[in-house]
Amino acid sequence: MNNTTQPKRSDEPVWWALFSAGGVCFAVVVPGAILALALLPAFGGISADNLSYPRISALLHDALWGLAGLAFIGSVICLPLFHAAHRIHHGLHDLKLGGGLLSKVLCYGSAAALSLLAIYLVS
Amino acid sequence: MNLKKPGSSKPEPGSYQPVMPRNWWLQHRYFQIYMLREATVLPLLFFIGCLLYGLYCLSLGETQWQHWLAFMAQPWVVLLNLLAFSASLFHAKTFFELFPRVMPLAPPGLMIAGQWLATLLVATGLVLLLGGWL
Amino acid sequence: MSKTINIARYNPQTDSRPQLQAFQVESDNSTSVLDALLQVQQQDPSLGFRWSCRMAICGSCGVMVNGIPKLGCKTFLRDYPDELTVSALAHFNVEKDLIVDMQPFLTHLAAVKPYLINDDQSSQPHRQTPAQLAKYQQFANCINCGLCYSACPQFGLNPEFLGPAAITLAQRYNLDSRDAGKTARMPELNSKNGVWGCTFVGFCSEVCPKKVDPAAAVNQGKVASAGDFIISMFKP
Repeated sequence: MNNTTQPKRSDEPVWWALFSAGGVCFAVVVPGAILALALLPAFGGISADNLSYPRISALLHDALWGLAGLAFIGSVICLPLFHAAHRIHHGLHDLKLGGGLLSKVLCYGSAAALSLLAIYLVS
Repeated sequence: MNLKKPGSSKPEPGSYQPVMPRNWWLQHRYFQIYMLREATVLPLLFFIGCLLYGLYCLSLGETQWQHWLAFMAQPWVVLLNLLAFSASLFHAKTFFELFPRVMPLAPPGLMIAGQWLATLLVATGLVLLLGGWL
Repeated sequence: MSKTINIARYNPQTDSRPQLQAFQVESDNSTSVLDALLQVQQQDPSLGFRWSCRMAICGSCGVMVNGIPKLGCKTFLRDYPDELTVSALAHFNVEKDLIVDMQPFLTHLAAVKPYLINDDQSSQPHRQTPAQLAKYQQFANCINCGLCYSACPQFGLNPEFLGPAAITLAQRYNLDSRDAGKTARMPELNSKNGVWGCTFVGFCSEVCPKKVDPAAAVNQGKVASAGDFIISMFKP
């Protein structure tokens, strides 16, 4: 038996922390966001006037000096993206389709790129 | 100890080496529900895609924003978002039940109830805000 | 009443893979799967399986019953219809019939140094309060039966994964107030084949005959490993 060499420390804590934070957002914030932005407007529970361009623009850019918009983007887009990336990366391993460095770079790379895009679009 | 390479097709004399098939998760219900939990991120990605498209439209101006509102009202979009909503609730159920086992900070029942309360409060807040009642 | 028990037979000298063979056994309300296997052995003395205590403490009679890892002595024919299938524990190499090679499991157990590590040489007893005991007690109930490894798809996909029982045992000693060996155990847990090989499928905890909840131990281990990761960033 060789216990002279110690195994390499995994960088997984970083991705797991993002996954967990995203998981909390997916469970706590996303249901309300889907309800308020997709389902209620479609079924007439929220009128089009309340989703008008000036009102949404103001909410996203100006409310709480823009912090409200950033918090919303972070908790409904960025962190859930990393949550999804983590599950897809490990899911590919479960399906014996990868789970190696390539799927890691692709999954977390797209999550980071789309997060930056979202932040760019609100700034 | 005789270390053998896993997954080689021909068993070495002396033992049978089982190989996990790709569809192992179809073999019983517990694994199917696990895969369903992992798959909740797929409809989530659709909803995030809708939001990114919405942010893009908003940055282009009022006409494009109207276009996005019309897009969000299309039946197939509503249907997929309904699926995303169910997925988010299923994810929430599994996540809230696992959390007290990962971090046992309080009695599990209390922690689960507290988390559902948080979801309910955030949902109420967002609906009141966007519905113009706040 | 009579029930049919299909047993996955494997003879390393003649077979390339296990084949099911049906046997009839007499079953009443108290007949366990282990009792049934002992009956079959009366009919066919060549049947190989492990057993010892008959009371769910030695952990040697683990088998798959209808594809689910079970202790033969703690599983009863009354809970199954007229027919059931018994095969060797999943994810281990089969040596003969229901006997598997447990060496990978034992190697993983040894890798986490599952014993008290403490330089204190005093002859005084190591006192522990009930609260200190409660921190690890549930995780100390493991009987090393290996059912959790057969339940774990991550171990099936990657035999290098330390697995539920070994990580639980590491956690059990890390949480023990008498132990000072955490720094020696963390490198194994911090690796990709340590706690990070787990995706919280949770089936290990479902099949555990001692209600140890290894999935909780492994995921509490992730929190510990993440903490260790942060501390390591501030060290030169």
